[in-house]
Amino acid sequence: MREWLNRLRDWLRRDELDRELTEELRFHREQLERDARREGAPADSARYVARRRLGNMTRVHEEARDRWSWPWLDHFQKDLRYAFRGLRRSPGFSATVIVTLGLGIGANAAMFGVIDRLMFRPFPHLRDPSTVHRVYLTWQDRERSRTSSAFEYTRYLDLTKFTTSFSQFAGFATRGMAVGVGDASRERLVAVVNASFFDFFDMRPALGRFFVAAEDVTPKGANVAVLDYGFWQREFGGKNVLGETLYVRNIPCQIIGVAPRGFVGVSEGEPPAVYIPITTAAGNEPIERMATNYYRTYNWGWMSVMLRRKPGVSEATASRDLSQAHVRSWNAELALEPGGTPAAIARPAAIAGPLRTPAGPDAGLESKTLLWVTGVAVIVMLIACANVANLMLARVLRRRREIAVRLALGVSRTRLLAQCLTESMLLAGLGCVAGVAIAQWGGAALRHLLVGNISALDVVTDWRTLFVAAGFALAAGLLTGLGPAYLAGRGELATALKAGAREGGAHRSRMRSALLVLQGALSVILLVGAGLFVKSLDHVRDLPMGFDAEPVLYATANMRGMRTTVEQQEALGQALLTAGQAIPGVESAAWVSAAPFQSSSATGLYVEGIDSVRKLGRFTFQNTTPDFFTTMNTRILRGRAFTAQDRKGTPLVGLVSEAMGKALWPGKDALGQCMRVGSDTIPCTTVIGIAENAVERSFTGEKGFMYYLPIAQHEPGSGFALMLRMRGDPRPHQETVRKVLQAVMPGQSYIRVQPFNEIIDTQRRSWRVGATMFVAFGVLALVVAAVGLYGVITYNVAQRMHELGIRIALGAQSGDVVRLVIGQAIRFAVIGLLLGLALSLFAAKWIEPLLFQQSARDPVTYGLVAALLLFVALAASALPARRAVRADPNSALRTD
Amino acid sequence: MTPSSRRDLLPGTLDMLILKTLMAQPMHGYGIAQHLQRLSEDVIKVEEGSLYPALQRMRQKGWIKAEWRQTPNNQRARYYTVTSAGRKHLGQQESGFLELLSAIGRIMRPA
Repeated sequence: MREWLNRLRDWLRRDELDRELTEELRFHREQLERDARREGAPADSARYVARRRLGNMTRVHEEARDRWSWPWLDHFQKDLRYAFRGLRRSPGFSATVIVTLGLGIGANAAMFGVIDRLMFRPFPHLRDPSTVHRVYLTWQDRERSRTSSAFEYTRYLDLTKFTTSFSQFAGFATRGMAVGVGDASRERLVAVVNASFFDFFDMRPALGRFFVAAEDVTPKGANVAVLDYGFWQREFGGKNVLGETLYVRNIPCQIIGVAPRGFVGVSEGEPPAVYIPITTAAGNEPIERMATNYYRTYNWGWMSVMLRRKPGVSEATASRDLSQAHVRSWNAELALEPGGTPAAIARPAAIAGPLRTPAGPDAGLESKTLLWVTGVAVIVMLIACANVANLMLARVLRRRREIAVRLALGVSRTRLLAQCLTESMLLAGLGCVAGVAIAQWGGAALRHLLVGNISALDVVTDWRTLFVAAGFALAAGLLTGLGPAYLAGRGELATALKAGAREGGAHRSRMRSALLVLQGALSVILLVGAGLFVKSLDHVRDLPMGFDAEPVLYATANMRGMRTTVEQQEALGQALLTAGQAIPGVESAAWVSAAPFQSSSATGLYVEGIDSVRKLGRFTFQNTTPDFFTTMNTRILRGRAFTAQDRKGTPLVGLVSEAMGKALWPGKDALGQCMRVGSDTIPCTTVIGIAENAVERSFTGEKGFMYYLPIAQHEPGSGFALMLRMRGDPRPHQETVRKVLQAVMPGQSYIRVQPFNEIIDTQRRSWRVGATMFVAFGVLALVVAAVGLYGVITYNVAQRMHELGIRIALGAQSGDVVRLVIGQAIRFAVIGLLLGLALSLFAAKWIEPLLFQQSARDPVTYGLVAALLLFVALAASALPARRAVRADPNSALRTD
Repeated sequence: MTPSSRRDLLPGTLDMLILKTLMAQPMHGYGIAQHLQRLSEDVIKVEEGSLYPALQRMRQKGWIKAEWRQTPNNQRARYYTVTSAGRKHLGQQESGFLELLSAIGRIMRPA
C-alpha cells in the first residue's frame, strides 16, 4: 500500500526524479573517471573506461525510470485529455449525456438516501449490528395471520427466561411525554429503556453515567434520567447538569448522565430528548392497575424488545428459540387468564428480525411503496443508460472513419477500448456530480413529501449516499462505454476506410433498436404505475369518510400522569367543552373519548340472538357529547342524535353506524333494538339513531362497525379530547384555541391543538408518495425515452439521406418519405409498448396490494399510456421526417 | 579481477547487500558499488545497470531514503540512508539467508 503511494508520488514528480538520476549518474561517472586517472590512464581513455564501466547509460536510465513511470497512468492521462477535448467539441452531446445520467444517478441517490435511513443504516455506536435484532411476534387471529413488535413487559420477561440463544436483551419504547416544569414544559420524545439497553452500544457517556440494573427494577425503578446530547446542548447550554432534577411527566428525575454526541438509541425518527428506566415509566403509570401489574399480567402491549444473538447462533435458530419461548409464554398467559385462544390454534411464533421496523415483517404500506419507488428509480437509471449508450453508439459510428484511420496507423485495439471507456467514465463522473446536485435538491422535495419519517436528507455530506452515487456512476460508465468500445474495436478496416461516414452495419442498428425498444418498454411500465397510483390517490380522496374534517381542530389534553377521579374528569371535560364552545369562530364542539385515527375503544358487546358478536368483527365505540354529529358533519340517516336529556339516570341510548346495524340485525330495522355494552347483564342500550358509516382507524380493510354513546351516561375516562368545528380555515384559530383551553387545565397538565386534517393526511401518505414519485419518474422516463427516439430517428435519417434522395429522384412523394420515417418510429414504439404492457400485466399482482381499491390491470390506464407513448413517438419523429422530405435528389445522384 | 572470477548474485541478495552496506553509514551509489566490490574482494561486482534500478525500487518500498549532500571533496552527491522499515526488512532477510546458506553448505559438503 505504502509502496503504491510512493510510486504515485514519484509519478507526480517524475521529471524531477529524471533530472536527479541524470545528476547521480554523472557523479558516478566522474568518480570512475577519477579512479581510472589515478591508475594512470590518460584523460580521454579514462573517460572511455568510465563510460564503459557504467554500461549503457540510457538503459540504466530507462530501467530506473520504469520504477516511477506508470505507462497506463500516462495513457490514462492522455486519454482523459483526449476525452475532455472530445466533449468540449460537442457540447450538445456532452450536456445531454451528463444531464441524462445526472437525472438517473440523482434519482437513485435520493431514493437510496431515503431507503437507507429508513431501513438499513446501522444505528450510531451500536456494537456489531448484524447480531442485534428486534423481536416480532406472530400468531393466528380468526384465520388471519398477525405480526407485531409490541410486547407486554411480562412477555419480555418470559422471553428472557425461556430462551438460550441470546447474550443480551433490552426492552424499550419511545413515547411523547411532558418534560420540564411550568412554562418551560414541552411534550418531548422520551425513551424508556432497560438499563441493559446501553450495553448494546460501544460508547461512553459525554457526562456522568448511564443507569444500571439496580436502578431499573420491578415494580418501580429509580427516578433517574440520562439526557440526549443535542437536548442537553439546546436546553442546558451544555453545562454540568448532573444531580439536577428534571420532571418527566410527574416524575422528578435526577439527571445522572448525558449520552454521547450522535447517539440516538434505536429511534427511527427524531432522537429522544431523555432516557429513563423502563420500570420507572411503567411503575408510575397514571392508571393504578397498569402501574402495579405491568410485569405480571399480559394486557398491556406497549414496548419493543431487542436482543443480541450469541456467537455461532444463526438467525433461523434464534427465531426457532424465540418461537418456542412465545408458545410457553402464550400458555403462561392462558394459565393466568383462561379463556383465550389455545396455542394449538393461535400458533404463536416469533422472528428475530431487523431492528428497523420498516425493514421488518410488519412494515407499513408506506415503506413498501418506497421500496417500489426505489425500484422505479433503478428503472429510470436503466432508461438513462440505454439512452446514453445509444447516443455513444451513434457517436462511435460517426467516428468510424477516424477510428479506422487510427487502427491503420497502428493504435492497438486495447488502447482504443481504453479510450472509449475513459470517455464514458468521464461522462459518468460528470453525471455523478450533476446527480449529487440533483439528489441534494430532490432530497429537499422528498423530505417535504415524507415529513416526519426522515430527519435529515443531506446527500453531499453523507458518505453512504455518495458511495452509492459513485457506484451507480461506475456502473453507468461501464454499461454505456462497453458497447461502443466493442464496436469501435471491431469491424473490417478496409471497408470502413473506403466507405467513409455512410452505411451502418446491420448488427449496429440492431443493437440500437433493441436499446430503443427497451427504453420504450420500461417507460411504459413506469407510466402504467404512475397512472395506477394517481387513480388510487383519487379513490382515497373520494372515499366517503363519514365526516368532513376540513374545518375541524383537534385538541388533546396531556395530564402528565395526574390521577383523576371520575368527578374531576366530568368537571374538567365539561369545563373544556364550555370554554371551547365560547371561543369566537367555533361553530360547534364535542368532547370525545377517542378521536378517529388516533385511538379507538372496544368492549364486550352482547345482542340477543347472536352467540358471539366478536366473531362478526371489531366493534368500536365513541363516548361523546350531543354536538358530535354536527361538529364532524356525520349525517344521521334515521332516528335522532342524543341530547343533553340523555344523561345519568335516564335510559341508556346509543347510535350505531349503518354497517353495524346491518351486521347485527340483518334484514331488520336496527332502530329501537337492544344491545348490552360491557357485559350481558347490564341494562339495554337502545338504538335511537343510525349514523352514516365513518372511517375510523385506517382507510384499508375496515368494516366501519361503530357505535356512539353519550359520555354523560358513562365514565368519561382520563383521555380528554375536543373536536372543534371552526368557521372556515381552522389554522389561524389554532393558537387562540390552545390559549383558551390551556387556561382551564389544572396543574402541570397542558393541551395540544392541531388541524384534524393533518392527522388524516398522514394516513393518505403512502398513496400520495406513490402517486407523486411514480408520476415524477414516469414523466422523467418518458422525456428521456423521447429524446432517445428522436436522436435515433434523426441519426437514421441522416444516414439514409443518400438513399432517400434516390427514392425521391425515382419519384417517391413526400407522403411516402414521411410514412417511411414515422413508420420506423412507430414500429419501435409499438414493440416497446407491447413489451411494456406485458411486463406491467405480469407485475400487477405485486403492485396491487399497494393500491387503494384499484385493479392493477386497469384497461383505461393501459389504454391512456399506449396513446401517450404513440403520441410521443409521433412527436419525436416529426422533425426528422420533415428533414427527410428535404433530401436532395441532385446531390444524392452526384456523390457517387 | 578477471571476468571468470566474478560471480552472479543469487536473486534477492542485492537488496540485502545494499542495506547491510548502508547500515554502516549513509553512502552514495558509487560508494555502495565500491564498498561491495572491495569487501567481497572483487568476487561480487555490482553492475551499475542493476544498482540504480535497485536503489529506486528500495526507495519506493520505503527501506531507504535519498537526500543530496556534499561529499568530503565538496561535490554534490545523492546519499542513501536506511529507514527503520529497511532495518526490519534486513533483519528478516539476514536470518533467512544465513539459514539457507548453512543448509546449502550441509548439502554441498563432501560425503
